[in-house]
Amino acid sequence: MNENTHEVNKLKEVKLFLGPQHPGMHGNYSVHMYVDGDIIKKTRPMPGMLHRGFEKLMERKLWMSNTALIPRICVIEPDINEMVYAMGVEALCGIEVPEKAHWIRMMILEMARVATHLFALGGIGGPTGIYTSMYWAVAERDLILDLFETLTGARVYHIFIVPGGVRKDLPDGFLGELSEYLNTLEKKLPDFQELLLKHPVIHARTKDNIMLPASVVHDLGVTGIGMRSATGTPYDLRKVKPYARYDQVEFDVPTATYSDALTRIHIKFEEIKQSIRILKQVIEKMPNTTDVKVPFDKGNALKWKVPAGMIYTAVESTRGEYGYFIVSDGKEKPYRIAVRGASYPQGLLGIEKYLPGHRIDDAPLWMDTMGVCSPEIDR
Amino acid sequence: MKKSKSLLSPVKAWKYLIKEPVTVSKKDIFLTPREASDRYRGFHTNDHTKCTGCGTCSDICPTDAINMIEMPDIEFEDGKKQERPAIDYGRCSFCGLCVDICVSDSLHMSKEYIHLSTDPNTFYFMPDENGIHNTPQKTGYTRDDVSDLLDLDRYEMAHEGVMRKKSFIEVVKGFSLQMALAESARCVECGVCTATCPAQMNIPEYIRSIYDGDLEEGIKQIYKTNPLANVCGRICTHKCETACVLGNRGEPIAIRWLKRYIVDNTPADQYEAAALSYVSEKANGKVAIVGSGPSGLSCAYYLSTLGYEVDVYEKKALPGGVIRYGGPEYRLPEKSVIKDISMIEKAGVNFLCNQKLGTDISLEALRDQYDSVFLGIGFSLSRPLPLPGSDNNEVKYAIEFLGQARDYVRGIRQMPDIHERIAVIGGGNVAFDVARTLLRLQEEKYGKSHVTMASLEARDKLPADLEEIEEGEEEGLLYNFGYGPQHIQIEEDKIAGLHVKKVNSIFDSEGKFNPDYDEADQHLIEATQVYIAIGQMAEYDFFNEEMQSNIEMFRGQVKVEPNGQFKDYPWLFAGGDIVRGPDIINAVDTGHTAAKSIDEYIRKKRK
Amino acid sequence: MTNSTSNSIENLKDLLTKHYDIKEFEEPIALQLAFNIDKESALDALAFLKSQGFGQLSLLTCIDWIESGQFQLVYILMNWDNGIHLQLRTFLDRDKPVFKTIQHIYPGVKYYERDVHEFFGVEFEGNEESYQHLFLEMWTADPPMRKDFDPVKYSDDKYSMREYTTEFPTKIGGK
Repeated sequence: MNENTHEVNKLKEVKLFLGPQHPGMHGNYSVHMYVDGDIIKKTRPMPGMLHRGFEKLMERKLWMSNTALIPRICVIEPDINEMVYAMGVEALCGIEVPEKAHWIRMMILEMARVATHLFALGGIGGPTGIYTSMYWAVAERDLILDLFETLTGARVYHIFIVPGGVRKDLPDGFLGELSEYLNTLEKKLPDFQELLLKHPVIHARTKDNIMLPASVVHDLGVTGIGMRSATGTPYDLRKVKPYARYDQVEFDVPTATYSDALTRIHIKFEEIKQSIRILKQVIEKMPNTTDVKVPFDKGNALKWKVPAGMIYTAVESTRGEYGYFIVSDGKEKPYRIAVRGASYPQGLLGIEKYLPGHRIDDAPLWMDTMGVCSPEIDR
Repeated sequence: MKKSKSLLSPVKAWKYLIKEPVTVSKKDIFLTPREASDRYRGFHTNDHTKCTGCGTCSDICPTDAINMIEMPDIEFEDGKKQERPAIDYGRCSFCGLCVDICVSDSLHMSKEYIHLSTDPNTFYFMPDENGIHNTPQKTGYTRDDVSDLLDLDRYEMAHEGVMRKKSFIEVVKGFSLQMALAESARCVECGVCTATCPAQMNIPEYIRSIYDGDLEEGIKQIYKTNPLANVCGRICTHKCETACVLGNRGEPIAIRWLKRYIVDNTPADQYEAAALSYVSEKANGKVAIVGSGPSGLSCAYYLSTLGYEVDVYEKKALPGGVIRYGGPEYRLPEKSVIKDISMIEKAGVNFLCNQKLGTDISLEALRDQYDSVFLGIGFSLSRPLPLPGSDNNEVKYAIEFLGQARDYVRGIRQMPDIHERIAVIGGGNVAFDVARTLLRLQEEKYGKSHVTMASLEARDKLPADLEEIEEGEEEGLLYNFGYGPQHIQIEEDKIAGLHVKKVNSIFDSEGKFNPDYDEADQHLIEATQVYIAIGQMAEYDFFNEEMQSNIEMFRGQVKVEPNGQFKDYPWLFAGGDIVRGPDIINAVDTGHTAAKSIDEYIRKKRK
Repeated sequence: MTNSTSNSIENLKDLLTKHYDIKEFEEPIALQLAFNIDKESALDALAFLKSQGFGQLSLLTCIDWIESGQFQLVYILMNWDNGIHLQLRTFLDRDKPVFKTIQHIYPGVKYYERDVHEFFGVEFEGNEESYQHLFLEMWTADPPMRKDFDPVKYSDDKYSMREYTTEFPTKIGGK
């Protein structure tokens, strides 16, 4: 654990601002850096550009109305918000969701995972200059968004997973379309992998660079790909604490023991392949019933109440453990909801302690491969 | 992964020249945009003729984007408000919760998603059938049974079984706490019921008080406009339920039973504190009220709250009028009536019974002794039916019989003389009250019942409530609806039966009462007693000659100003059946209006 | 899996009651344990739990119980080996909310403490660096997540609302 008590040498070091607009796709995030030549000596993270006050806002809206606000907390992967909120409310109310709803939720979460991983891989294009990856990735993601549009009615903020189930049943022919898309994606992945993982520029920028040692992982509390690539342990919430029928599908959790940026990019590709594997099993095993939602209280939605209690629910997002801590006092509005952003540890303390020592051009790449997503830090 | 050092890799890249690009260029992307999916959540469309203006969309909107705009030029319709939603698209999050909760299925979302303008006012928009640019659009997101956010099914009210006909036990059992909470949770608090109620009761507020568990507040809300809470909670004609917006797609809220839940379950001390919280000190004057029926009672209570001493003159032995001597025990138990009347007595009202206007006391004497007089004499006489044979002794009339039956159940009178086979003429609620009471008395006296009902109207056009017809059928009433009485067959001074003919039509082509019968279909209903229940009327013999000629009458009702005052006699007011109705809730409202006008009149007089 | 985890939860409960005075445990969902502990033993308990395998601090947050005049700090710890989440809660006095930092146990808590300080006003002794604004720039009012802070009033005082001048029709089908 190296304390950054570096004294700034005003004659030698220059103060630079990274962001809030910067190459890479992690949202508006600013870092004040003191650089000596090309090497960063000291950093100060400056979050808060995307602070929208969600935690206070959620205390003032009905339980059902909140479902429209929460997708906006993590912009890139909105479905995990809906999922943890629904899991928390259902556990407090003590209701059981219909079987088909579990499978549809799993399908949505995995589709969101593929889309977000593609987005992150595309985001490498900015810092490294390989814009081809951005075009390919965003185009593939667009086709997933088309599928979401057919299923839920909106492309980015789906507002589809609600406490009690999902909002509507699958439209006709959806599983066939999804299956077709997965086949085309599988055919394109090898080219995409070759583009990024065999590229000499990427090798120069990421191999043996931006390391994440195992001790750092434990000190900071990093989860997700960061933890799995550094410690080699398959600690994934889908395996350790399965939710929504993850215990009924087969998949592997890719791990590594040497965590440089190249390994983490490689793991992202492996995770996309595992998600495709899960999706194919979901398509096969989707139940044929029509029951997909139960109300979680009696009466109409303006009057639904949740029994008092405090609960923490978490899911595995692309960046790690993402959770909500929900406190209810038995009324129609939540009493307190606290959001645990998956990239909170690496986005704040990680930048302060472990970014110094890298080069300036590594800073956006650091944020991209470590998985920093600023909307969920700022809420 | 190793770096690629293959010599062929540049060449391999050329295969992309022949591959299809993923994104497709489009000309005129604003004029002909890509069509959205079938569930797309675009701009809203609203069918203004179906929309009820209830405001649930505005209540659930997570971003407070929907405002209800008053449109005063819409024609007033029962069950709708004169408001329509307008959406601020700067705030709308396109979640579709408003579509899912819409009570009348009028709000949908279209597939339109592009709107460009330099004028921000165009983004605050009232959707109608043709989207934001006034061009018809394809429908996108709509509500279905899965995404519905309303609770459409009413909780079944428990009734006593068929053995109820052996006694006068109350037929409707009433809600338990769980059922009342569940039923009150269905209410969307739109207020359409308040506008329809003749007394404008604060219905959403008292339903809310059940949900919040504050029954004392519920009593306060009820007594703001209606002191006969126990009575109306049981036998009101519930126009509110017909107007309830949930009736558009589901079943309306059981408002009458919820009111009954409040009055039955509030602890007595809280009830008294709440009901008497409006009463004020008596310092402003004295008023006489003639008739202690619903309108008289209501006027008395509200005059008490305004600070007047009130004397109520009632011609019968007990106060209450139609609620004491009219409604049957199995629908309106005596103890509920006593609860209401005793609360009004506690408010400081004097009841003087066995005082008939015109006989025991004159209208002129009242005028001299009091500051003002209110007439709530009601329709206390039965309307006769001039059938041949109706002058026989065993032809009875509804009002007298119902009063006798209630006195019998009360225990202060002998059972009225009833025969084993009875025919009842009439198709309204009163006729059913008569028939079902007769049935119970027959069960008590003979162990079996035989009551046949006949009326001009066919079964599906009867003015009575559906539940009366169904419950009566369960209890064993025999129905001859659609058969008009022709004459009563008399043999040796005793009734042998009622002769009826099938009715083809009741009104002729000009709309006048002119029944047309089918001569081929006629029969005799066997009966030794005939009860006539075709309507009521008032007796006005207490008016002196001058008043008889000055006061205008219309169909048995007196003509008064909208505030209840007689035009030529400003000290005289009237309300109840003789002014509007005939209905208990209308009587309560006219009594209340008259009380306020009496207060105004007396204050002006004092100045 | 479930047998061993319920065993683990039972073991955990026994272990905790042996060392600390805990009145009741809650299990709101599978693989989760929650309890209240008093302020003085909380630090000790956190260090103890870290030694028992709860190596990750998932979240530190605070709840404002304005009616009873208390803040409640909630530490959520996770043990990846058996998947148990632990909610450790402790009450602080609302008028003078002071607690000690736990950076020496979980280094990653530094910014969580700064977050709680900024939004609730809780002081963490030993983490004075956290007394600077992190998310809120140029903030002049009370800590915003407190229940007595009215965001609508703050917004109305500082910013002006857009006024629309749209004309609406007054009848169905009208212009």
